[in-house]
Amino acid sequence: MARLTLCFAGAAILIATGSAALADEPDATARAAAQHLAVTVCGTCHGPTGNSTQPKYPRLAAQNANYLAAQLKAFRSQTRGDPDAIGYMWGMASQLDDATIEALAAYYAAQKAEPSARGGSTAASRGREVYEHGVAAQGVPACSSCHGPDAHGLQDFPRLAGQHGQYVLKQLASFQSNMRNVAIMHGVAQRLNLDDMDAVAAFLEAQP
Amino acid sequence: MSAKSLSVLGRLAAIAACTVAGLGAAPSAFAVPSFARQTGLACEACHTVFPELTHFGRVFKANGYTLTNTKQVRDVTGKKEELLELAQFPPLSIMAQISYTQMKTPVPDLSSVGAPGVAQNGSAGFPQQFSFFYAGKIAPNFGAMFQLTYANDGGTIGIDNSDLRFADEIVLPDNGSLTYGLSLNNNPTVQDLWNSTPAWGFPFAGSNANVGPLAGTAIAGAFAQNVAGLTGYIYWNESLYAEVGGYRSAQQGVTNQLTGGAGPLDGTASNVIQGLAPYWRLAYEHNWDRHSLEVGLYGLDLKVLPGSASGAPTPLNGPFNQFNDVAEDLQYQFIGDQHLLSVEATHIHESMTLNAAFASGASANPSNTLTTTEVAATYYYRRKFGGTLQYFSTTGTTDAGLYPGTPAGAPGVVTSANGSPDTRGWIAEVNYLPWLNVKVSAQYTWYGKFNGSSSNYDDVGRNASDNNTLYLLLWFAY
Repeated sequence: MARLTLCFAGAAILIATGSAALADEPDATARAAAQHLAVTVCGTCHGPTGNSTQPKYPRLAAQNANYLAAQLKAFRSQTRGDPDAIGYMWGMASQLDDATIEALAAYYAAQKAEPSARGGSTAASRGREVYEHGVAAQGVPACSSCHGPDAHGLQDFPRLAGQHGQYVLKQLASFQSNMRNVAIMHGVAQRLNLDDMDAVAAFLEAQP
Repeated sequence: MSAKSLSVLGRLAAIAACTVAGLGAAPSAFAVPSFARQTGLACEACHTVFPELTHFGRVFKANGYTLTNTKQVRDVTGKKEELLELAQFPPLSIMAQISYTQMKTPVPDLSSVGAPGVAQNGSAGFPQQFSFFYAGKIAPNFGAMFQLTYANDGGTIGIDNSDLRFADEIVLPDNGSLTYGLSLNNNPTVQDLWNSTPAWGFPFAGSNANVGPLAGTAIAGAFAQNVAGLTGYIYWNESLYAEVGGYRSAQQGVTNQLTGGAGPLDGTASNVIQGLAPYWRLAYEHNWDRHSLEVGLYGLDLKVLPGSASGAPTPLNGPFNQFNDVAEDLQYQFIGDQHLLSVEATHIHESMTLNAAFASGASANPSNTLTTTEVAATYYYRRKFGGTLQYFSTTGTTDAGLYPGTPAGAPGVVTSANGSPDTRGWIAEVNYLPWLNVKVSAQYTWYGKFNGSSSNYDDVGRNASDNNTLYLLLWFAY
């Protein structure tokens, strides 16, 4: 019960932050500027429409705008501390203003997520079990309770469907070590063993 | 000056039948920390291990070194036109190479004619090279990598590889992209994006206290820092790259005999390019998963007037020597979090039409060919420990004028008894990077054949393997 309370408290904070940030929808000029930025700068790693083909870089297409905006702000303020955030995104986000962040988030949220070229490994069935039901013996809650039954994200919780398995695995490790300091996910990841992390990452990558 | 550039200098010297002044400056390759300060990105964003570029590094270069993530001093018009964007701190860097070279067999000591001994074996370079860089944005679509280098072989400071770029990028209707730009540079292929072409190819650093073979192609550094080239390029969807342009002589330290000015070049200058030498490049890169594969073609067609290289000041007209280089290249990279693998290869075919050299007796044939092949494979573990193995080969037409034998009583070493340019061997290098901007290397070069033979190649008793070289290097940039 304590964990559930923590989960909802975290969600409330994220929702409040995200909702305030998206109070103003980007206008046409801001949308065009964001598209240019996304294609010509962000696109080198994340793909022009956010459908990255390289597992080092997360797929951003159809990602929740609130989540994207929150992450960009976390990079800017250097509060997200996993290694790739430090090496890449702290610099890239350092000069972004709020309006540009909102416009970029809206751009990626509007893109169509293309199916991943991988996924569907033999571990995926175990991954489905973990995702949908958690691991009761280890006190791991179902991922779907926050990320949605189809893994498309809920409220401010990120979309995970189609995400690179290697990226998901690396993030779980960062949550586990607290390099990426998110209390909810630290609580989940520290109870997940590596096989289950692998399985759920493989399952997620295969989801449309 | 690397072994590669020495070889080219040697061949041009042979063509000229005298020393070629001002050619053969070091083709050197670096990563520049001022780019990291400007972008706020760690070295690994642009480099596997410096100076080899990742895909992101190639795109950064194609876009004119202008990506900036720092506060700017700005000026704009009322219509939001950008008039000025200055970084609050200039993009300056330094780089140093400190080295030690040990040859398998020392070379003769020329200081004592009649009772020759051997030169000291074991050459310390402190520094072998020290460079200053301006590397970064100048204006919103305008950037540069300018390098000024002190090298211990010349004991002077001079311009090194430099590349000034204008670039912009447009979004295509299908969310594709098209980068287009201009490069003004001083060494053919220094503007190239891949590490499979000469200016940025392996070895990234080499000894300047060794013995290099006589033959090398013109595009591989022979005219580095003595030309000015303007090329235009497009990079479509960060995949298809096409570039055309031309190079003209821009010799350093040469004066007009009439005016005393830096130009126009006259017959006292050596090896002057006639008109504009066309350069072209076509490449395709595909990136997937953690892999990147590039295949490409490139070439340069030089018409070179010998000038005073013919033995005495000669007006810059009449017969010239033509070097038509056509090359293929390939680069493969796997960039994992733990393991990194790169393979780079290039194959350069050179057709020489030596009207000037043949007329003056500097070449034995009116036309020759020369082919070089280099294949290198590099592995790194966590960007900390790694190594490279390279095979290199040069084959070509036998020409006792271009690749001359040893005159009676001379010490040999840099000659060819049979007039053949054929050289082949291997380079093995191991590297350790305690930090991403500091590299410690040990490199060993084996020669299986040198200037046409594996044994007694100079007819004075020196074998190819006598030129095997151990090269230790401390290399850092800040």
